[in-house]
Amino acid sequence: MERTQALLNCLYQEAELLDEGRYREWLGLLAEDVRYQVPVRVTKERGPEGGVSGVMEGMCHLDEDYTSLEMRVARLETGFAWAEDPPSRLRHFVTNVRIGEPKPTPLGEEAEVRSNLLIFRSRWDRPDYTLLAAERRDVWRQVDGGWRLARRTVILDSATLPTHNLSFFF
Amino acid sequence: MARVKGGVSSRLSRMLEELQAGLEDGLVPAWIFNDPELFELEKEKIFSRSWVYLAHESEIPNPGDYVLRYVLDNPYILVRGEDGVVRALLDMCRHRGMRVCRAELGNASHFRCPFHGWTYRNDGRLIGVPAEREAFGPDFDKGQWGLVPIPRLESFDGMIFGNLDPEAPSLEEWLGDIRWYLELVTKRSPMGLEVLGPPQRWVVNTDWKLALETFLSDSYHTLMTHRSLIELGIAPKDAKYAMYGEQVHIPGKGHGSMVVGAPPGAKLPPFWGYPEEMLERARTSYPTREQFETARETRILLVTLFPNFSFHNPIRKPDHKYQGTVPMLTFRVWHPLGPGRIEIFSWALVEKDAPAWFKEKTRLSYLRFFGSSGTFEQDDTEIWSHVAHNAASTQGRHLRFNYRMGLNLAPDPNWPGPGVAYGLNFTDANMRNFHRRYLEMLLA
Ligand code: FES
Ligand SMILES: [Fe+2]
Repeated sequence: MERTQALLNCLYQEAELLDEGRYREWLGLLAEDVRYQVPVRVTKERGPEGGVSGVMEGMCHLDEDYTSLEMRVARLETGFAWAEDPPSRLRHFVTNVRIGEPKPTPLGEEAEVRSNLLIFRSRWDRPDYTLLAAERRDVWRQVDGGWRLARRTVILDSATLPTHNLSFFF
Repeated sequence: MARVKGGVSSRLSRMLEELQAGLEDGLVPAWIFNDPELFELEKEKIFSRSWVYLAHESEIPNPGDYVLRYVLDNPYILVRGEDGVVRALLDMCRHRGMRVCRAELGNASHFRCPFHGWTYRNDGRLIGVPAEREAFGPDFDKGQWGLVPIPRLESFDGMIFGNLDPEAPSLEEWLGDIRWYLELVTKRSPMGLEVLGPPQRWVVNTDWKLALETFLSDSYHTLMTHRSLIELGIAPKDAKYAMYGEQVHIPGKGHGSMVVGAPPGAKLPPFWGYPEEMLERARTSYPTREQFETARETRILLVTLFPNFSFHNPIRKPDHKYQGTVPMLTFRVWHPLGPGRIEIFSWALVEKDAPAWFKEKTRLSYLRFFGSSGTFEQDDTEIWSHVAHNAASTQGRHLRFNYRMGLNLAPDPNWPGPGVAYGLNFTDANMRNFHRRYLEMLLA
């Protein structure tokens, strides 16, 4: 129960940092060997194994490591990152959290954490907005008594993205 | 609205006259970037008669492989038949119009319509009609009812183009001298190119011409739009880096290229920073010595084909800490969805025979700088959408944009390639050429 609460807190704290644009602090939640991917999703027929499909192996919208995520954050700090300057108003809605059994690894105890995500994005003074829905498949690792995001795969629910860029984090 | 010749309303023909009158003077009215009536005319006069990029042959290497692509709102199944021939079949059942292809990509020996069950082989032939005899009688000729192929389909070095106009000139003629610049990429290796997966697709509220102009001619925007990358030390320190090099257009065709070299004093590796072994292969695979010499001095190359295809091949690296450079190549279709609205199809490509480590690094260079999340490109889409919004505003639409950069610049007589070249990229020459062609097609 304690672990569940700790991991839920991580997800909610993360959402708060992303919604408030506190990206340096957000980087602090990431493991140094983090892998962060948003694969391209395509429309496919239902496979013989059933379930959902169309998650492409070969191409992503984002395929990041710690250095490249830090680069994206540093860019936002230059004052010339027009895609997010003025910043989008973002709201991360995190629901349906499922926490797997933690497993010991050489780098620390790791737990699979799956969550549903809805991102609301509004820019400028216009009344319109975009919504992106996805499932996040995370691995969180216990390091020095806290949890760090070690791996995230974002399974988008859109094939063609309904927004003009992905200048934010999932 | 009063209709005049060619189905053009008097309102629109007055507007086109305004475009024509201003163009040679470097003035382009804002309204052309977001007008519903003009968009209808573009559909009819431009996109129904032009060679439109559909796919790279490496997307469908095996018999039965298919991808779904669009010309305007028409869905085409681009499929390699069992005979190895690539066809583009309108995804519309000949019985009552249902779509017969149920995925964006895959492999299929046949396509079966989910409405009443007509079944087509992957070469388009109708081979199955449920209760054929009882329903349609003994004389039903299935041969008459195959999927409709696109009127024209041709390819150049693995790049597959379609045309809705059966009378269109050949692709080769359409391309003309821009082939020399296309080949700088398609013939860099004797093995040619391959895609690194399916395209990223996303929607931007802008006009296809605004997006295209950036890739065709606007190196001037890089110093401000992409200033964040200069600040981070990812783009060269000299903010005017994209000014150096040559801007070339093909008169009468609308196509153009920007061939950017290294800023004076900058230590950038030759040949985009491609691995030495690739440079060696390029030495013999380029058709001419001039192309090899040009390629060796190139750090950024863009080619835009009229009407809505671009590629971008810059020197790059996978992140800001990486020592060294890893270039990337992206193909683009600026797919028009409506006035002020496009869908971008964006692919990453690489030479088939590039080393594996390079393929992975170039994929990352692409993802982190261009495409849907690219740190360069995301600022372009932000800006394009505001310009398109203003171009439809009641006051703003009457403003005339300034396309006067380089109006008095003299062509470079020493440029080794074909077309009209200028020894400075800060010029709107390619755009003025594009708009001349654009207007010519609208008025034809
Ligand atoms: S619409 Fe396809 S079989 Fe009737
Ligand atoms: Fe740009």
